[in-house]
Amino acid sequence: MHHLSHTWRHLRRSPFQSIIALLTMTVSFFILTSFVFFNSGLNSVLNHFNTKPEITIFLKDGLDKPTLEAAQNEIATIPDIREVRYVSKEKALELYKELNKNNPLLTEMVTASILPASFEVSAYNPKVLEAVAQKFTAKTTLVDEIVYQKDLIESLMGWTNMLKNFAIVTISFFGLVAFFVTSAVIGLKITNRKDEINTSRLLGASLFYVKKPFLMEGIIYGVFGSTVGYLATLSIIIYFKAKLNTFFSPAIFVSNDPVFFLTWFLVELSIGFVVGLGTSFVVSKRYIKW
Amino acid sequence: MEIKFDSVTKNYGPISAIKDLSFTVTQGDFVFITGPSGSGKSTIIKLILNQIKPSSGQILVNNHSPKTQLEIDQNRRKIGVIFQDFQMITDLTIEENIALNLDIVDFENDQRPLAIDTALKKMKLQNRRFLFPSQLSGGELQRACLARAIAISPQLILADEPTGNLDPINAWNLIKYLKQENEKRGTTIIMTTHHLDIVKSLNKKVIKLIKDN
Repeated sequence: MHHLSHTWRHLRRSPFQSIIALLTMTVSFFILTSFVFFNSGLNSVLNHFNTKPEITIFLKDGLDKPTLEAAQNEIATIPDIREVRYVSKEKALELYKELNKNNPLLTEMVTASILPASFEVSAYNPKVLEAVAQKFTAKTTLVDEIVYQKDLIESLMGWTNMLKNFAIVTISFFGLVAFFVTSAVIGLKITNRKDEINTSRLLGASLFYVKKPFLMEGIIYGVFGSTVGYLATLSIIIYFKAKLNTFFSPAIFVSNDPVFFLTWFLVELSIGFVVGLGTSFVVSKRYIKW
Repeated sequence: MEIKFDSVTKNYGPISAIKDLSFTVTQGDFVFITGPSGSGKSTIIKLILNQIKPSSGQILVNNHSPKTQLEIDQNRRKIGVIFQDFQMITDLTIEENIALNLDIVDFENDQRPLAIDTALKKMKLQNRRFLFPSQLSGGELQRACLARAIAISPQLILADEPTGNLDPINAWNLIKYLKQENEKRGTTIIMTTHHLDIVKSLNKKVIKLIKDN
């Protein structure tokens, strides 16, 4: 309790310095949380497309069963292929009717014979799909047409990678800013309280005793900054949730899972704790030596 | 607490603050250290507190030379210090200053309020307990400093020119309190002063430093 009151006294005695440190931490965690949510959203969209048949290989008519099985096995043995599903002409008709059930004009003239059978292929790694596409384009006796959502997937992967790289650079930058601003603020406070620290040391206070209020101050900056930064981002995300989910529909951009939000809150709280403690530890070690 | 200086020399660069000094202060002693300005009185206080290290010789506390920072801190917690410039923490009240010292020496929690009350009562500062150091007069500040020192029930009180900033009445009052601590509780007292009338009137041990030109 005594150390808490000391820490509170430090915060109160130089409120503007404390506010600067708190704001810097808050902004840094706001940015970190924003990237976390956007990255999660884009990954969710990417996963949505990954679970759909990413390549549809339409087959020529009149192929016998052994040829179809051989082709299906050939695709399935490629590494990182998740699923190869054979869609017969009859199944294709079923799907077509289901898709157009509200428009009888489009379904009444269509029979199974005019629809092609196909393989629907999905992969764990979207990069492998291009190899599949190239391999089967050459098999002209087997393949009629290949439909590949290459551009969309490549574009999404590009966005995700770009966001990740941008996030790494930006978070590192703001992380450094938070570190240096907090260091400067705590360093100033230590300098301002040099006489008090000196007196306490002469009265028998250990090094840890005099450092403790500054360590706690760092922890308060980290924990407060991460909490406020997280809650600010969360509020904005929740406010725009409906619009974002409509825009990325049918994929779900903003998760509905409370465990996801709670987990990330705890992760950021821990990061805030570690960053605050680490910063104040480094600074107090550097400034309090007597 | 017994303090023994064994051929201690302290140099600040080419200047010798004290040279080949030996003396022993035993438990319950009341010792004055006198001498002109610059003769090394404050240096002795700093050496006892381990604020500075001797250039040669050794200082024994209870027949042991503290080596580690932990030992130094533990020794300091047994010492009540009255600084010449008070060194009260300015944004803490008098009561909080005393409480801080009790916290530093890890005084028993449930005994702290009583220790604070007793010290303030002895120094007649009960009605000043919630004031800040800047709101006290010089004499009151010196008494507050003594209250902070005696609250921890120290084995040794180090008083560095405690009467230096006081008028004669307050100076004599302070000496009276120190004498009481020494006689009633057996607390060892080491006090630096250049007030020879105080030294003569108390008839205690004196370490007289001579400035070597």
